[in-house]
Amino acid sequence: MKKQSKIAYAFLAPFLILFVAFYLSPIVYAAYLSLFTKKRIGLRAAQDVFSGVTNYIRGFQDVNFLTSLKNILIFGIFQIPTMLIAALILALLLDQSRGLLMRVCRTIYFIPYTIPIAIGGLVWGCLYARDLSPVNQLLSTLNLARIDFLSPSLILFSIANITFWTWTGYNMITLFAALKNIPDELSEAARVDGAKRWDIVWRIKLPLLMPTFQLLFLFSIIGTSQIFAEAWVLRPIEYVADNITPNVYIYLTAARDTNYSYAAALAILLAAVVFAISSFLLRKLQPH
Amino acid sequence: MATVNDEFTREAAPAKSLRTAVLLVFLLYFATPALWVLFAITKNPSQIFTTFGLWFAQPFHFFENVSELFSYQGGIYARWFGNSIIYAATISAVSTMICAAGAYAFAKYDFWGRKALFSFILGTIMVPNTALVLPLFLLMNKLGLIDTYWGVILPGLVNPFGLYLMRVFWDSGFPTDLLEAARLDGASELRIFWSVGLPLMPTGLVTVALLSFVGAWNNFFLPLIVLNRDSLFPLTLGMNVWNSIIHSGGGKPIYNLIALGSLISVLPLLVAFIFLGRYWQGGITGGATKG
Repeated sequence: MKKQSKIAYAFLAPFLILFVAFYLSPIVYAAYLSLFTKKRIGLRAAQDVFSGVTNYIRGFQDVNFLTSLKNILIFGIFQIPTMLIAALILALLLDQSRGLLMRVCRTIYFIPYTIPIAIGGLVWGCLYARDLSPVNQLLSTLNLARIDFLSPSLILFSIANITFWTWTGYNMITLFAALKNIPDELSEAARVDGAKRWDIVWRIKLPLLMPTFQLLFLFSIIGTSQIFAEAWVLRPIEYVADNITPNVYIYLTAARDTNYSYAAALAILLAAVVFAISSFLLRKLQPH
Repeated sequence: MATVNDEFTREAAPAKSLRTAVLLVFLLYFATPALWVLFAITKNPSQIFTTFGLWFAQPFHFFENVSELFSYQGGIYARWFGNSIIYAATISAVSTMICAAGAYAFAKYDFWGRKALFSFILGTIMVPNTALVLPLFLLMNKLGLIDTYWGVILPGLVNPFGLYLMRVFWDSGFPTDLLEAARLDGASELRIFWSVGLPLMPTGLVTVALLSFVGAWNNFFLPLIVLNRDSLFPLTLGMNVWNSIIHSGGGKPIYNLIALGSLISVLPLLVAFIFLGRYWQGGITGGATKG
């Protein structure tokens, strides 16, 4: 078996080397870095000094970071259920449909997922811009007040719409594929027993979709915590707060304020929060 | 009962119209940004402001927009397009081979640490992007890879999800009996992988190559952090720089170029989707339903 191991590791070597160099070591480096703070001693330039969990404590007291977490939490509570339920309904409706309309819908719904968020967000930015938005053009012909999609009260909604537009089709296709995997015999047997069309959907198909649905739910939580480009591409158009999402704030802390060690601590804190929430939900969702 | 009474299963007419109506409303919603782009590329900037965004305006400016797009700022758009091709093609080709070889080891060899290593690599898919990209920036700063093609390409080659997908394909598409038979014939391990195994994996290879091409083409965060010189930008970054220029003081409102540039930047993806959509969806759902 020893020779087998050697050959196996030879096949694995390219992957493992890159994995360690550009995936694992940055994470380890971030953890190490997060334990330092910049200190100025006397008149000399600031130096990195080991300071334990100082950065983490600061993170818990940082109003901006906490606001960004609150923003993304509110965002997730509304956006994730809306998106997943819409995806579920669309998947079920498409599953009941045949022909050209079904094929066109399936394709068009999915296409936003294939488009870079940085580009999709850019186009939505044009649709939101005060003077360009077709919605506002319609409203002004009707002599109604324009909507400021990028105002502080609507900005989270506008970002959520970009996320919804991008990801609903992806979730729908995944659920649709799971629906197609359900053996026809099950519905057939129910039909013979006299079950109606939507009975079959409710009582047979929906319960069988649950594992896929839960997985998508988990992916959505992780994805939501990562939102960056959707908010970032709107910043040039109008004022978008630095603390709009955790990732925007962490990026600015690193790239603009060059406070790398604090940014590293915040990134790890965010990962820990997301990990805690998703493992809690996983346990809740799976009774056994 | 041999024949099923269709009365039970046939949908009532109002229900069918409702279903069609819902599907059409969503169709319009998902298509709206594309429609705006398709109308905007035929307009000049002032028409974009003064005419309704979801309809045509006279006269047409499409061809002027095309020539302006490729001449604006010394024709840097073509450069960005070329950069995106370089990044996505290199990352896709190399990472697919790396994933194929690595997954082959996991699927066909019994070696020390196999199970634990595979779970560990899979587990890292959950690590948030920022936790990765920010320290990556510092690391690459030390390696002198900031503001180089390599700075975008090397981290892009690591694709744990591709490794997982390839393993699924090796497990189901390359019977171990065949491997044993090739060994008995005296073929070397590398030769078995290359000449017996890989030719059996067209679907797996295309799926992983396609998904990593798309991932690299769409990447925004990594190039944003690694690159400073606009001559190295991919399209995603370049288009957003133009967007910033519009809104900075005294910037020209080049919304026509934003629209046309966005459209052209997604054309390769649309072509790939039309011809390879089957692989694409298979890769996504294979990962989601079997994971």
